Amino acid sequence: MGADGGASTATAALVAHGLSKRFRKKVALDSVDLSVPAGSITALVGPNGAGKTTLIRVCIAFERPNAGRVEVDGVDPWRHRSEALRRVGYVPQAPAVYRGLSVEDHLAMARSLHSGFDADYARRRLDQLGIPLDQRADTLSGGQAAQLGLAVALGTRAKVLLLDEPLANLDPLARREFIQVLLDAVRAEGSTALLSSHIVTDVEDACDRLAILGAGKVRLDCPLEEARRTHRLTDADSPPPGATAVGSFLGKGGQKVMTLWRLAVASEGADGAGGPAPEAASLEDVVLGYLAAGRGTAGLQLN
Amino acid sequence: MLTRIRLTLKQHRFETIAISIVCLGLTVAALIEAFRLNSLNVPLSCFTTGYNFGPASTSMTFPTDTHCQALANSFSSIQGSLDMNLVRLLLLLAPLLAGIVFGAPLVAREIEQGTAPLSWSLSGSRRRWLLGKVLTGLVLLVPLMLAVGLAADVLEGALDPGVDIHAAFQNYLSRGFIDVFWVLAAFAGTFALGTLFGRTMPALILALVVCFFVRVMWDPGMARIVLRPMAVEQTQPEQFGPFYGGGPGIAIAPIGPTPSSEPTPSSEPSPSSEPSGSNDKTVAYTPYWVQTDLYSYTQVFLNGKPFYGDPYTLPGYQPQFDANGNPIQPDPSTMPNWVNYAIPGSQYWLVVALESGFLLLGSLVFGAAALVWVDRRRPY
Repeated sequence: MGADGGASTATAALVAHGLSKRFRKKVALDSVDLSVPAGSITALVGPNGAGKTTLIRVCIAFERPNAGRVEVDGVDPWRHRSEALRRVGYVPQAPAVYRGLSVEDHLAMARSLHSGFDADYARRRLDQLGIPLDQRADTLSGGQAAQLGLAVALGTRAKVLLLDEPLANLDPLARREFIQVLLDAVRAEGSTALLSSHIVTDVEDACDRLAILGAGKVRLDCPLEEARRTHRLTDADSPPPGATAVGSFLGKGGQKVMTLWRLAVASEGADGAGGPAPEAASLEDVVLGYLAAGRGTAGLQLN
Repeated sequence: MLTRIRLTLKQHRFETIAISIVCLGLTVAALIEAFRLNSLNVPLSCFTTGYNFGPASTSMTFPTDTHCQALANSFSSIQGSLDMNLVRLLLLLAPLLAGIVFGAPLVAREIEQGTAPLSWSLSGSRRRWLLGKVLTGLVLLVPLMLAVGLAADVLEGALDPGVDIHAAFQNYLSRGFIDVFWVLAAFAGTFALGTLFGRTMPALILALVVCFFVRVMWDPGMARIVLRPMAVEQTQPEQFGPFYGGGPGIAIAPIGPTPSSEPTPSSEPSPSSEPSGSNDKTVAYTPYWVQTDLYSYTQVFLNGKPFYGDPYTLPGYQPQFDANGNPIQPDPSTMPNWVNYAIPGSQYWLVVALESGFLLLGSLVFGAAALVWVDRRRPY
């Protein structure tokens, strides 16, 4: 924990301060400030190219930030890589499995690389899912390969789990299973998870916190419940009392332009005074509103 | 670490099996070829023509003994056979190819297949991760290449009857312990390229080109730059054996007494032990032979100092005549003097150690470069 971390980061498992990362002229992260409280499951949501993967890669010392700093469980991963990696379990974007090795070999490999790897714990999780330990990893289904990646990450018994769009290539059933295993593990271990995704509905039930990343900037970072409570959606220009417009985007069906409003804390719950009653914003609406604001257009729609 | 080695070998199953089969097969093939030659048990005196290295090359017998002639012909037939040439070619290439084939995918494939992020997130130290992989390469390649090198030594001994192969430089860069250092250099260079590129095929192709270039340049480079101070001046004509193969090499025998004046070593067949019917006109050969093919050179001196210009244009080289047309002795200070230098076979182990040391140094430099780079590069 940095000295200037302040009280807000006192219980944070992952903190980013003014974090910037450029790839030549392309800005991937632009002064990102983010705080992930310990014990939370935070959804890191944003469209492709928003900087989600870059942020996670910086947290795991795969990328060096151009400015700012990040701390994982109080350790700067770039300066103290091995210290930081002991605290992190990582699930890469595409299921990373060794083609010629069996599931059991993966656990043995992880144990040989990570001194604190709990192979029995990982084995139990795979057993529960009915994944044969002697099966070659390249013959696993996409969902099973993702579960293997998750089991390896969980086997590290790390305090912080970084999951880089692990659901992207999974079918709905596999996604649900993955989320459930993650939830069970995080709740049981009291660890912290940062789960990136561009599919909002997948993370809605799993996470207790939402961070929206758009064009390299953090657009919103708050508890999920607060995000729902403090945002309203209308198809008119008249704002709910005390609300400020966040962004406009095409509504479902593409018929209307919807506007997302953020309520002032004092006016939470004060819906519509004179104008049409605003709808409670779904999480997807919240994400769309902030991303539309980031783009400055009204044509954005997530799937 | 044993688990890491086992899993890395399993991960590179194809390369491991292919290299093992080729190296062990080559070892067996070399030993079989050596056995074929040795089983002929051809006396040195039976080599009449066509043999051009070592004591046998000076055995100027005449083909009066048909049995002797038949043995020598059989020997030559095996020596020049296709399978023998193939084995010798593979013995030359095996260390480089084994190092390249195992080294190229070692790191590059992890990056290509996306498993490096998983490994690197688990291992606090990428250098330790890489050292585990390098150790796997050593565990596989060193014993295999030692077997190949020793088999090549045995084959060379069979190919050069009467020659102490550890006092001769014939093919010495592709046999014996130096094979181990060739494979290390090729392996280290290739996995360093793989670490740099993160792609197997470019690393493989570039390593092939670089290794070919280094191998071709190695002999003249080492001979002329590093080993030149070890060469001794050859002043006595009897030190020079016959030229062979039309190349620049000369066989010299500065070490050890000739059989005519001293007893022949037990490993050498003495003239008295030649088969009946062999011809007594055999020219005495020397017990130790030094092949100086690559390790001899000629330096031109002028007036006692090295001369690097064209010696054929010097006045002392041109015939000179007086006014009456009679030839006159040129001024000695204008006459070029050619002096031959060579490295004696007694320096064999020193040369092998020196060149192995250079290869090891290169391996360490490549390995260090890979260690530095793996710590800095991205895993994708």
